[in-house]
Amino acid sequence: QRIRSQNIVPCTVSQLLAAEQVEETFRIGAVEISQVTIVGIIRHAEKAPTNILYKVDDMTAAPMDVRQWVDTDEAGSENVVVPPGTYVKVAGHLRSFQNKKSLVAFKIMPLENMNEFTTHMVEIVNAHMILRRNLMPASKAPQSFGTGMGDVGGYGGGGSLPVNGLTAHQTQVLNLIKNCPVPEGMSLQELKVQLHNASMSTIKQAVEFLSSEGHIYSTVDDDHYKSTDAE
Amino acid sequence: MGDVHEVPRHRIATSHLAQFIGQPVCFVGRVEKIHPTGKLFVLSDGNGKHTTVELSDPLDEEISGVIEVVGRVTNQATIMCMSYVQFREDKSPFDLELYDEALKIIHEFPEYYPFG
Repeated sequence: QRIRSQNIVPCTVSQLLAAEQVEETFRIGAVEISQVTIVGIIRHAEKAPTNILYKVDDMTAAPMDVRQWVDTDEAGSENVVVPPGTYVKVAGHLRSFQNKKSLVAFKIMPLENMNEFTTHMVEIVNAHMILRRNLMPASKAPQSFGTGMGDVGGYGGGGSLPVNGLTAHQTQVLNLIKNCPVPEGMSLQELKVQLHNASMSTIKQAVEFLSSEGHIYSTVDDDHYKSTDAE
Repeated sequence: MGDVHEVPRHRIATSHLAQFIGQPVCFVGRVEKIHPTGKLFVLSDGNGKHTTVELSDPLDEEISGVIEVVGRVTNQATIMCMSYVQFREDKSPFDLELYDEALKIIHEFPEYYPFG
């Protein structure tokens, strides 16, 4: 199951560093990413004849290398170097070379309004939550925060997967159990941790239904379950 | 600059200080007062709660408005500052209460906003 995001995904540097490279693409969890935005402060700027190399820091990890290519053919197009100490929003493509991740930026915009930096933090949580929820064939729209900050529309291109007779909630529980790598399977306690808004009784109901339908089976005790579908 | 800029630094509010003793953190707040020696200043967060920030070398400039501090939380729950940056407010004021709401969200969902 692959979910490709056709859009630009806001990310933290830590998420980009953790992204796995699979052939030509990158994945954060099961979500494919290519074009991303980060917001951070420039710690270092180095100008070379064909490019400017920045180190951009968003506090989630060490600063990330961001390269901006300079068009040497265009007369008088010397890119102005953004000075260290400036907060910027970078839009670019994630790259990996010799196991080191970097961004190739197509746009670097100094923030004029620092409230954009606050908004970006919340947009990251919203985007990744929605993209991860699009893994499940949900019949309802994904939950969003409703804080009025930022437009959620347009994140993720998936969601047209077949419905298999389960409710959105049961499917969420089943997918969590399927994706659990631990030999004794997923515990009810762990399901409660992953499903912030669900009560234990709701989770138990879902588990009972899935078990009676043969999607999952109990392992070491009635609190641990594995999927009958081998992944 | 020091090594603290090469590791994850949790964004925190004053109420989180006790949980992060000894850890590298990032704190955003409004300047409330500066000690005459210039080695200590007090910031208020989006809840109006105060945090004391200490410096190893005294300030060599006047600071005011909203400051973002990178440093380590001391045993006394103050922050030993390694570097700081002033947020620009020339075009728009920074909404510190909104930032505090964002902090609540990233603390509630660390799986979607990981530090490290």
